[in-house]
Amino acid sequence: MSPTTTQSSTCHQLACRMQAEPAALERVCQVIRIRGFRIDQMQVVNEGEVLAITLQLTGDRPVSMLCSQIEKLHSVLTLTLAGQQAPARQTA
Amino acid sequence: MNAAHHILETLQRNGIDTVFGYPGGCIMPLYDALAARDMAREAAGNIQHVLCRHEQGCALAADGYARASGRIGVCIATSGPGATNLITGVANAHRDSIPLLVITGQVPTTLIGTDAFQETDVLGMALGIVKHSYLVTSAEELPQILDDALSLAQSGRPGPVWLDIPKDILLTELPAPGPTLTPPAAPKTSPDVSAALALLRQANKPLLYSGGGVSLASAEDAFRRFAAVSGLPNVVTLKGIGNPGLANPDYLGMLGMHGSRAANKAVDQCDVLLVIGARLDDRATGQLQTFAPHARLIHLDADAAELGKLKTADIALPCELNATLDSLSEALEASPLRIEPWRQQCRNGFITQGFHAAQNDEPHAPITGTAFVRELSRLTPDDAIIACDVGQHQMWIAQHYEFGHPRHHLSSGGLGTMGFGLPAAIGAQFARPGQTVINVTGDGSFMMNAQELATIRRYKLPVKLIILDNQCLGMVRQQQELFYGNRESEINLDDNPDFVALARAFDIPALSIHRVDQIQRGIGTLLAYNKAIVLHVAIAREDNVWPIVKPGASNIEMLDESYRTNNHPIKERIA
Repeated sequence: MSPTTTQSSTCHQLACRMQAEPAALERVCQVIRIRGFRIDQMQVVNEGEVLAITLQLTGDRPVSMLCSQIEKLHSVLTLTLAGQQAPARQTA
Repeated sequence: MNAAHHILETLQRNGIDTVFGYPGGCIMPLYDALAARDMAREAAGNIQHVLCRHEQGCALAADGYARASGRIGVCIATSGPGATNLITGVANAHRDSIPLLVITGQVPTTLIGTDAFQETDVLGMALGIVKHSYLVTSAEELPQILDDALSLAQSGRPGPVWLDIPKDILLTELPAPGPTLTPPAAPKTSPDVSAALALLRQANKPLLYSGGGVSLASAEDAFRRFAAVSGLPNVVTLKGIGNPGLANPDYLGMLGMHGSRAANKAVDQCDVLLVIGARLDDRATGQLQTFAPHARLIHLDADAAELGKLKTADIALPCELNATLDSLSEALEASPLRIEPWRQQCRNGFITQGFHAAQNDEPHAPITGTAFVRELSRLTPDDAIIACDVGQHQMWIAQHYEFGHPRHHLSSGGLGTMGFGLPAAIGAQFARPGQTVINVTGDGSFMMNAQELATIRRYKLPVKLIILDNQCLGMVRQQQELFYGNRESEINLDDNPDFVALARAFDIPALSIHRVDQIQRGIGTLLAYNKAIVLHVAIAREDNVWPIVKPGASNIEMLDESYRTNNHPIKERIA
């Protein structure tokens, strides 16, 4: 599915802590893309053995489904979903 | 010892005695360690390396080994093309939750990122088809990674774990692995099932729907006890075939695109649907909006991410299936369900709307796929393992072969990998050397991994092959006939090689049949021979799989042969 957004698209903010292993960022980005979301902003801080990642995402699908898929990644330590925000602007 | 020796020692200490692989440049230290162990004739229980003839064959053989045995499968390849050739097999395992340990060599650490010979970004390429993957960046971390990988592949919802190991790390000295510590078994506890029980007790028409998760959890016994105690009419997915065993009177067959009318109708009518170890895949549910329209849903699965993914469950229980099924059984033993009218209705439905094969007793009549599979099912031993490929024959097996156990039915479900069957049968034969293993394939699928006949010959495996040959890609032809205005496009395989001669070129005897009166003798010869043998079965090109649901349509809109007669007469095929 193309992660384009519609009028009903919603913004979500996720905070994810992952083991700082070679493919950590690729793993989480790939899951976000495949499950139908778009990354609008991403901030990563390398804390040594852990990556602290803050993500702002847009998507039409239930974000709980995305969270359960990200949580399945072996290198994800914690995942926190901030409160849902206002619908995104129409972009597609 | 170096890291390569360390890996082999760790595998052996974890009870792994068979691996499937293909050597090459960057994995040579591991193969050197294998040779050194062979020369030293180390202790009994040394690892047997099975040399397949293509890395895809290695991965699919490891997959078949794991499916048939319930143990982890291991495959090994070199960097670059070796690793890329594994991809389809690993994806196949990933989609069907099969535990695999995948080991590839990588170019030396200092050459990574320089476009070195046979360098590919295996870690990046494989991200979407593994449960987890590691690029080993130092020898010191290898022991822990190995332990983690072996555990991870087999725990929870199983899956493939990939280790990409640079050549220089394989050559680095490491101490011998310490004694294997058996990790404490995960506690098998049941969640609170009272709400699920209450819903079941309120139901007039409850239905049980089970999938591959039952076998993955080794919960067949607990499942059968629950099925018997509850008396629930039950349907299975492709991967759940065999769950109920041969003696369940309430079994309605497979549901879905090629499911029985009885199964799809029961799903359509039920008021509570209890889904166990299944993910509500689109081939099983058909159009989701019209799936089980009157039912409240109870969903039990080891993977919490599957609960509510496609259909919201009224009761969703992420759980260990053995303990949970036992809890349900105990409660129902004390106070059984009262659903006799519904049970009887479903049983009657299965008699009239189960899977039926047209019987043609005319001795010289052409063989149909369904009649052949029924005869095969009748003549083979109960513990025979059938490894299918993908296509019409796969569905005829799913519909008409009676399986007593899910590990007897090896079928590529999620990925639908043509070429799966032959290497999977090889893996299964290594896992179950005393059992009859038969690869039932089609002429299209067989040619995708035909090179593995050489593996059968090399290891003198008594694998039987049955090629149902309709000289075309039958499932594609069928859908073109029914859903694309009968326009055939690139499905013709009437220039297939002489399969009998091909088998004989690999020193494997073969025979060919094409008439009804040859079926018994053909299968009898196959089963009586104690070595590998190929049975080529010529079947009609126009044979279709019935019923069929149009992709994307509702499961109650099943089409049968009358649709063909009314809408797309064969003789009107567009030239």
